[in-house]
Amino acid sequence: MSRLSWIKKALEVGVVTKKYPFEHVEVPEGSRGLPEFDSSKCIGCSACANVCTPDAIRVVDDLNEGVRRVEYFVGRCIFCGRCAEVCPVSAIKITKEFELAYKDEVRFIIELKLVKCSNCGKPFTTTRHLNYVLGKVGEGLPELMTLCPDCRRKSTINSFITPVGGTV
Amino acid sequence: MDVVKLLYDVLKGKVLHHEVISGGVVIDVRPEDLVSVVKVITEELGGIYTVIVGVDGRGIDSTYHNVYVFSLDNLKTYVLIRVRLSPEDPKVESITPIVKGANWGEREVRDLLGINLLGHPDPRRLILPDDWPSNTYPLRKEFNYYEKPKPSLGCNYVPSRSEEVVALPYGPYHPLLHEPEYFELHVKGETVVDVEYRGFHVHRGIEKLGESRLTYNQIPFVAERICGICGFVHNVCYCQAVENAAGIEVPERALYIRSLVLEIERIHSHLLWLGVACHVLGFDTGFMHAWRIREPVMYLAELLTGSRKTYGINLVGGVRRDVNRESIEKIVKILKNVKEEYDYFVKSLTSVKEVIKRLEGSGILPKSEAISYGVVGPTVRGSGLKRDVRVDHPYAAYKEVSFKVPVYSECDNMSRLMVRVEEVYESISIIQQLIDKLPSGPIIAENIEIPEFKEGFSGVEAPRGEDVHYVITGRFSKVFRWKVRAPTYNNIPALKVMLHECPLSDAPLTIASIDPCFSCTDRLVVVDVLTGKKFRVDFRSLARRGRL
Repeated sequence: MSRLSWIKKALEVGVVTKKYPFEHVEVPEGSRGLPEFDSSKCIGCSACANVCTPDAIRVVDDLNEGVRRVEYFVGRCIFCGRCAEVCPVSAIKITKEFELAYKDEVRFIIELKLVKCSNCGKPFTTTRHLNYVLGKVGEGLPELMTLCPDCRRKSTINSFITPVGGTV
Repeated sequence: MDVVKLLYDVLKGKVLHHEVISGGVVIDVRPEDLVSVVKVITEELGGIYTVIVGVDGRGIDSTYHNVYVFSLDNLKTYVLIRVRLSPEDPKVESITPIVKGANWGEREVRDLLGINLLGHPDPRRLILPDDWPSNTYPLRKEFNYYEKPKPSLGCNYVPSRSEEVVALPYGPYHPLLHEPEYFELHVKGETVVDVEYRGFHVHRGIEKLGESRLTYNQIPFVAERICGICGFVHNVCYCQAVENAAGIEVPERALYIRSLVLEIERIHSHLLWLGVACHVLGFDTGFMHAWRIREPVMYLAELLTGSRKTYGINLVGGVRRDVNRESIEKIVKILKNVKEEYDYFVKSLTSVKEVIKRLEGSGILPKSEAISYGVVGPTVRGSGLKRDVRVDHPYAAYKEVSFKVPVYSECDNMSRLMVRVEEVYESISIIQQLIDKLPSGPIIAENIEIPEFKEGFSGVEAPRGEDVHYVITGRFSKVFRWKVRAPTYNNIPALKVMLHECPLSDAPLTIASIDPCFSCTDRLVVVDVLTGKKFRVDFRSLARRGRL
């Protein structure tokens, strides 16, 4: 081998740099890019927001308007795909899209109606989430389903105490 | 266990208590016995300094802990020496006078936890900036991660050398451009006589973040972002530390996939380094070719994990993504090509006489100094010491494959280059063996439970050397203490030795030869000891001077 071998190699491989962005660059199958949200499927359970490391997905309850907002901000996203993994209704899909430079700050927002507690009137979850759980448990305890976690706890204890001790 | 018996034998009544954890032994000693214990471990048992971990353990047993970790390579175990210090006035004798490498580790616990070191030779701060207020210690539990204390001069500036009046304590930094780190070369004419280093300008407080805000399965994604080139090692190392602490059985297939991706990362990292080394020498043709060969390896990583760099496939208990037959076929095909190209590249590179002449005999790091500084990775293997975590403390699937650990004993830049050159061949062979043996089965452990206040320690051989993570599990799905020590942390202090009496023109190459996260070394201040004059050069112009 002599230093001429470099020239030989250079002639052999030619130009390898692609003329991106004028030329299309194909990423392999399964590459993780922009997550896609299906607002018709989302039940607002917050599972995605819980696992999201960089807080790209946030869930905010607007009590005045009675809605829950699931917000996604691409600028914080690290494209790990954990949200799609934990979504119970497969509302999130990871696409191969990686060209994400936008002119404006893009936020994706899903608005879902909140359910009010039938006892104290505090909104506690979304209608869709409730229906989803109802579908899972089948003929469950419909009267408990409309109570918020606090009232549910109280109601369970009350129903437990009364038959045993009579009056407390 | 015979290691435990051996420790009791040589330490003669100084061990108060011991505990065997996965991959190591924890011994409790009295603070006043520490120096003598460390002496015995390093001199009689051949222990090599690994890391010092400071723990604010007041929530566990109302004391501060200092854990001194040494690697007993021939016994294939780590020994963790723990001293418990009083919560009111934590202080302990410094071990830096007998173990040079401990200098940084000790200054770090002093900065972040306020542990007083008696007899430490260097009074300066290491991590905290000089305008951080005194008596405010960020890793203490009462300090909230979102707090921003008002700046006030917390310590006195101590000039690095007494004979010069220092006009420029630190140069201007550009934290936005590169990782800013700061080398101060003291030169006599054209010869370097000393080097001062000041880093940690972009200390992000990741450990604090992990301890206070993130949950077990969120940390891997943050850990991966510690390093810009070999992030996956941190990811694996953290997960292994938690798995060790909780005693989680990881499925075999997951271990194989981890090893597979780690080796792919090593290949791309070494190719990157070879390119950068050529670039520093002014041999940009080599740089271009090395990076051209690297590109298919990056494609492989993306194919296997879904991302070119931040793979994000690890969770505590296993991996998230399986490999299928098509991707295995692609790996075999692409690696065959890469190997051919790489072969040609190495032969061509070693035929360029100028490259060889620049590499040979420069940046000498003698074996004894390498041991004393606790140097890791290709840097130590280039100094004739066979240290490799994959062999000394096997993890993932490395027990199942056979490979050679390249060692060169010329101690110069050439040895370090040759170690890396050969490691790429070994990595390709490891990947082929892993693919042949890949077992079937699940890829992640189910029903994981993590008990509180358990210790876990783990090491991973990163492309740059031994990376270690130490974890104490906590409550509410969070870690109580998470300590990270990246390989470059142990290698940079040894530059003092490598650069001593070396011509200024060899300095960039020598600094590059430890493969620091490379953009770190972007700025240098040159101090002429004879005239006391200081001038600033950026890395590129210094490299240019080296080419003249």
